[in-house]
Amino acid sequence: MKLIKGFVVFVILSLSTAQAILEVTVVKKDENAFPIIVSHFELTGKNAQDKDISNIIQANLERSGRFNVVIPDAIIDQNVDAQHWKRQNIEAVVSGSIEQQSDKIYKLSVSLFDVYSNKQLFTKTTRVHVSGFRKVAHQLSDHIYEALLGESGSFNTLLTYVTVTTDAKGNKEYRLNISDSDAMNVKSRIKLKTPILSPVWSPNRKYEHKKIAYVSFENGRSEVFIWYPYTRRKIEKLPRFDGIASAPSWHPNGKSLVLTLSKNGNKDIYSYNLEDKKLTRLTHNPSIDTEASYSPDGTRLAFTSNRSGQVQIYIKNLTTGKINRATFEGRYNAKAVFSPDGKSLAMVHRIDNDYRIAMLDIETKDLSMMTNNELDESPYFSPNGDMIIFATNRDNKNLLSVVSVEGNRSYELFSQIGEVREPNWSTYLEK
Amino acid sequence: MKKLALLPLIAILSACTGSGGFLESNTVVIEEKGAEGKAVDAIVRDESSFNWSDLTKPFSKADDTNQAGVKQQAVAELKASDTNFVLYFAYDGTDIGDKATQEIIKHANFMRDNPSVKLRLEGHADERGTREYNLALGENRALAVKEVLSLYDGMNGRIEVISFGEENPIAKTHDESSWEKNRRVEFIYE
Repeated sequence: MKLIKGFVVFVILSLSTAQAILEVTVVKKDENAFPIIVSHFELTGKNAQDKDISNIIQANLERSGRFNVVIPDAIIDQNVDAQHWKRQNIEAVVSGSIEQQSDKIYKLSVSLFDVYSNKQLFTKTTRVHVSGFRKVAHQLSDHIYEALLGESGSFNTLLTYVTVTTDAKGNKEYRLNISDSDAMNVKSRIKLKTPILSPVWSPNRKYEHKKIAYVSFENGRSEVFIWYPYTRRKIEKLPRFDGIASAPSWHPNGKSLVLTLSKNGNKDIYSYNLEDKKLTRLTHNPSIDTEASYSPDGTRLAFTSNRSGQVQIYIKNLTTGKINRATFEGRYNAKAVFSPDGKSLAMVHRIDNDYRIAMLDIETKDLSMMTNNELDESPYFSPNGDMIIFATNRDNKNLLSVVSVEGNRSYELFSQIGEVREPNWSTYLEK
Repeated sequence: MKKLALLPLIAILSACTGSGGFLESNTVVIEEKGAEGKAVDAIVRDESSFNWSDLTKPFSKADDTNQAGVKQQAVAELKASDTNFVLYFAYDGTDIGDKATQEIIKHANFMRDNPSVKLRLEGHADERGTREYNLALGENRALAVKEVLSLYDGMNGRIEVISFGEENPIAKTHDESSWEKNRRVEFIYE
């Protein structure tokens, strides 16, 4: 039996070659992580042999830091010996089977067994197209997470991030990538010699409606583009504005986005409606206003401004139009994003000479440090609000780090061949 | 005789030397036609570097070339004359001190003496803090330089401001020795 203990580095290597693939390392797990068996699945049929998706579920649960996953050598069928596992201090058992039914269709059956109550918590039986195995593995991971912990998981979701590689001559290549939440299944169709910044998933739940807004310098200056990764319509450029166009962020309804424009040199926040193409100005201040981000209900807008002479976070109430300063601790707070419950902001906070991720309770104004690094940036919440993903720098290299909001769990995503930065996590996909 | 022609399949295939297998949209195929009107050779060129006037005008645009040469020479002379083409800034700062103002005046004089040159001011920031704030900060630095230049007559429409934020650092280490070099505005004449 292979036991994976807490604090043991758990590396998931990928098979793909030319892609800017990230390696995942679990750094810190919950001391009371949930001991769970995830058995290999029983495979029936000649093409079923490479379809064992139990490894995706194992990696997902392990990465969350809330489970100690045990992978038995022998396949466990759905008749679980509760007494045996109780003696081993195992609390739950995941088992499953995959049976080929036709050329492209497989029957998948997965059970979750609770050792202490000696009960099957669920058995899910579904028909899966050969293209849908990864998706169903992430959905099952979410079901297991929710059944055992009583909270939603964030597995059936997507990431986007920018990778940068430098060739022997010093030429850089920037790629805009999308992947599943486990950093696998990478697609990187946008490859440029010029910088790419601030990619952000639209809130749409259906794949065909999902878009990514991002900033590109491909025409010599910062402009906002929209990528449609799952439709024929590939990339759309927002109309040419004078000066900077940057810092896009979606309205929760997916129909408009906020961005920073510097018409006449003055950087203010505007809303751009993608349907009627109308531009609405949301801030009027001679200072820098940028990095706007909507609250999940769309009623408030957090943004960065140096209007006080320091760089601080402000919140505009979009109903009353009133703007209030949100951060008072320290002289530099920037790039705030709302937690999914709308109660907190994650941001970049300067303390001494270090830039760290901090979390602000909007009501109590309590600011808590999430990291201990020197150069953190670009925080974003997982869709269940349980973790914050951000970019950081170690040994002169950019990598992504993910920490739980309690600070007790973390993992990292890094590239052997280049740098990775500008992470953004999608909302939930349709079930 | 040179002539633009529809893309023959062979030309498309021969253009696909890369891994992508797609002909880039801005690629133009020029076909040389033989005596019997048969394609004998296909030359693929990138439209962005393609001078359409080559097809219609047998002579080079000597005037433009000369003027560009004169401009280049003038800029080279300015560079040789102890004038800074890069100005540096304090952390999170856009202030222009007396020394920097002296340098900007040299550029203003140069632009007055060379009314056909145009200037691009590129603003940059160091890596600390967020990328989007730094993009805004880089623009403010370039705008601060433009503001001084604009005190002089004849600058209207000749100065373009661009910010690259922290994206194009000159020095790559993560300490003040690099940061002070990266907080800058560059003068680029066109």
